[in-house]
Amino acid sequence: VFCSILHAKRSLHASQQCSAPLPPLPEKPGQVRYGLIPEEFFQFLYPKTGVTGPYMLGTGLLLYLLSKEIYVINHETVAGACILTILIYGVKKYGSAVAAFADKLNEEKVASALAVKNDAIKSLETAIEEEKKEQWRVEGRSYLFDAKRNNIAMLLEANYRERLLTVYNEVKKRLDYQVAVQHLKRQKEQDHMIQWVEKNVVQSITPQQQKESIAKCILDLKALSKSAHVTA
Amino acid sequence: MNLTFFDQFSSPQLLGIPLILISMLFPTLLLPSPNNRWITNRLSTLQLWLMQLLTKQLMTPMNKTGHKWALILSSLMTFLLLINLLGLLPYTFTPTTQLSMNMSLAFPLWLATILIGLRNQPSISLGHILPEGTPTPLIPALIMIETISLLIRPLALGVRLTANLTAGHLLIQLISTATMALLSILPAVSILTTSILILLTILEFAVAMIQAYVFVLLISLYLQENI
Repeated sequence: VFCSILHAKRSLHASQQCSAPLPPLPEKPGQVRYGLIPEEFFQFLYPKTGVTGPYMLGTGLLLYLLSKEIYVINHETVAGACILTILIYGVKKYGSAVAAFADKLNEEKVASALAVKNDAIKSLETAIEEEKKEQWRVEGRSYLFDAKRNNIAMLLEANYRERLLTVYNEVKKRLDYQVAVQHLKRQKEQDHMIQWVEKNVVQSITPQQQKESIAKCILDLKALSKSAHVTA
Repeated sequence: MNLTFFDQFSSPQLLGIPLILISMLFPTLLLPSPNNRWITNRLSTLQLWLMQLLTKQLMTPMNKTGHKWALILSSLMTFLLLINLLGLLPYTFTPTTQLSMNMSLAFPLWLATILIGLRNQPSISLGHILPEGTPTPLIPALIMIETISLLIRPLALGVRLTANLTAGHLLIQLISTATMALLSILPAVSILTTSILILLTILEFAVAMIQAYVFVLLISLYLQENI
């Protein structure tokens, strides 16, 4: 059962047996006139019979065959004429389209291979551009480092000044405290002294002195009230 | 020479030497063999594209084991296509009009599918005889009908191809005979029959291609059931 498919796996004469490079395909096919007769036939007869030679030959041959009934006109002739009409119509109408389609198939094959090559080239060029950019970036590295250095220096300076400010504020707070303590002490001393002086003065006021001062005040008040009455 | 209507269906002979083998192998001469160029000429490109299209169309619905049949089915398709199309030319012999050749193509291929099915998966291939969801009283009748349908398949395949092509060729001959006979009597009716003949020839082109495709498609379907 299995040996029946073995022979199909080996293809016969799939390639030529030599590996020499192939000649390129010709650009145009062989020139034919009326789709059947190659141009070489007309060129072959041209020296002896001129331009009309092959046509005379063809017409004479056809008439000979028909008149001698070597070719008999029967129903196959009519059928053949119809088929010929359809074939020629088909070739004339769709021939160029089919040829363009075949060319397109080949073009797509070549184009896909070219696309692979172009994509590879493009990706390599992009890689080169990227590499150049990286090299340019390397040149600018020193600026980058300077900027970073300046940045760090500024940060350090700012930090230092902040700490300096903190120190100043702390010291000021402590000094203010001392100053406040001294003021408070002075205030307390003054108050105490005033109180003591007042207490002593009040203690030293004798009752005689008190009466004399009250009488003087009353006299002063009367005098004042009189002057107030006069002015009003 | 004066042809009867039987002459285009008789096996060709030259001085008593049967030419049937040459007439069957001749279409292969028309196909360019693949050469080892990468970009080939237009004919080779088109042939390659057509073969790829046909093979893909046939082989896509099939599972992996069915792909062993790709070579025989696509070569059968090309064979039948070319023979049918070449038979439309005048004074040609079409081998596929002979029932003997079509039966000898259809019967072994159908039998091969049946035997493969019965050997590898007998219950599945026998199960195709009864469609799903049939009501129970119908089952005996349906099994008999489906068995007859199964056994008649090779006959149908061969006769379909033979009948289509023979009928087409015969019609062409008859109508062209009518055209010729009417040409001297009533030329106007002759023109009418000529137009009928042209339409018929277009139909015959289509039928030639379709019949080849249908033959191979049906065999691939029978294969899909059984593989």
